[in-house]
Amino acid sequence: MTSNPVNSSQLPIFRQAVFVKMIHWINLISLGIMIGSGLQIYNANPVFGGRAGWHFPDFLTLGGWLAGGRDWHFAAMWLFSVNLLIYGIYIGLTRRWQRRFVTASDLQVLKVGQNPKRKTYAWHRFVYTAIIPVLLLAIATGLAMYKPAHLHWLSGLFGSWQTLRTLHFITVPIVVLFAVIHTLLALKIGHWRMIRSIFF
Amino acid sequence: MSFYQSSHHSLSRRRLLRLTGLSGASLLLNGCGTTSFSDKIGQLVEPLNQRVEELLLRPQAPVPEFPLSAIEPDKLLINTFDFTPQIDPATFQLTIDGEVQNPLQLKLTEIQKMPLVSMVIRHVCVEGWSAIVQWGGVRLQDLIVLAKPKAAVRYVYFLSADGYYESWDLPSAMHPQTLMVHQKNSQPLSVENGAPLRVASPIKLGYKQSKWVTRIFLTSQLLPQKGYWEDQGYEWFGGL
Repeated sequence: MTSNPVNSSQLPIFRQAVFVKMIHWINLISLGIMIGSGLQIYNANPVFGGRAGWHFPDFLTLGGWLAGGRDWHFAAMWLFSVNLLIYGIYIGLTRRWQRRFVTASDLQVLKVGQNPKRKTYAWHRFVYTAIIPVLLLAIATGLAMYKPAHLHWLSGLFGSWQTLRTLHFITVPIVVLFAVIHTLLALKIGHWRMIRSIFF
Repeated sequence: MSFYQSSHHSLSRRRLLRLTGLSGASLLLNGCGTTSFSDKIGQLVEPLNQRVEELLLRPQAPVPEFPLSAIEPDKLLINTFDFTPQIDPATFQLTIDGEVQNPLQLKLTEIQKMPLVSMVIRHVCVEGWSAIVQWGGVRLQDLIVLAKPKAAVRYVYFLSADGYYESWDLPSAMHPQTLMVHQKNSQPLSVENGAPLRVASPIKLGYKQSKWVTRIFLTSQLLPQKGYWEDQGYEWFGGL
């Protein structure tokens, strides 16, 4: 990353493995379905305030009504979680986690670093590493509410039902905020070339 | 108060545009936000989800219960699909019939004379809320055994005084914590909660737990009518 970011022709060519592009696409699409259908389910009995609470507008929801929202949610959950599992196996087998995720050196840069470009890069890695436990939390809290009787040991970890619902819901604004910051950081580091590299 | 059901059948052009145009996933999958398409998605994936639910269900293993101090008396909301039937407990009779060798009718006093089974469980509504409730009554498996079901029986129908109907898989109906209850939170069951007799169980969603049950029907075949909400589009198994 020594080239001048203003002149994008001097930027390195970003390449992503086709496999990683696929996983990124499936993650994006399945998360979109999970959020749209999740907000539909939310509206049946808002986490905050119950039936009298504020509802999300229809255009943000998927499925038409509660049963339709549940159809989508419990279909896309497979796509989302199996995709994430395959990604987990992939980064384990290829040892990608050692090179692509946030490192101790990145954290050091964030604390005392002087090079703004290196710092942006460290932030980028920090942010996309930090979203992974949030996605895992979404799955764990979701399962705990989907099967609270048979997975009672999981439901029991989160205390009350309201805590469980709140934790599950809070992953939505975190993921939306993540998507914005993740995109902005990628743009800052590698302009549209970097964005294109993960999609096409 | 019925389940949340926003203009299920009336899909205006404006609503269709809103559903297809802007909702998160519909940006990518134009037209997929409609109710009929969602039904198809459900029909596609529900067999897989149901298989997982059946694997999770250990038919004779009780779900851990809560202490009496955990009961949440204000959290159990009242949901009915139509009206609240008034039933005279003195003349009430529960019919158990279908593919059985010993069809029978039980008076409420006869059911109340049977040993009381009490449990403190979490009642989970499809809408997303839950309540920890104490229920008291008799095990459904004990009533089913009295009727001597034939070997081919696979499903249990519950018919209610308000016209509500439900069907369960036999293993879930035979679960030791699937009860026919006449008591809630140490008090006689109120009419709003399903008096004189309703289903209560920790292993199924709330809409499977029929109130005002007057007839239990055992059958080897699942009928085209599976349940009031199932026939509108909700999943049939509804396991927890």
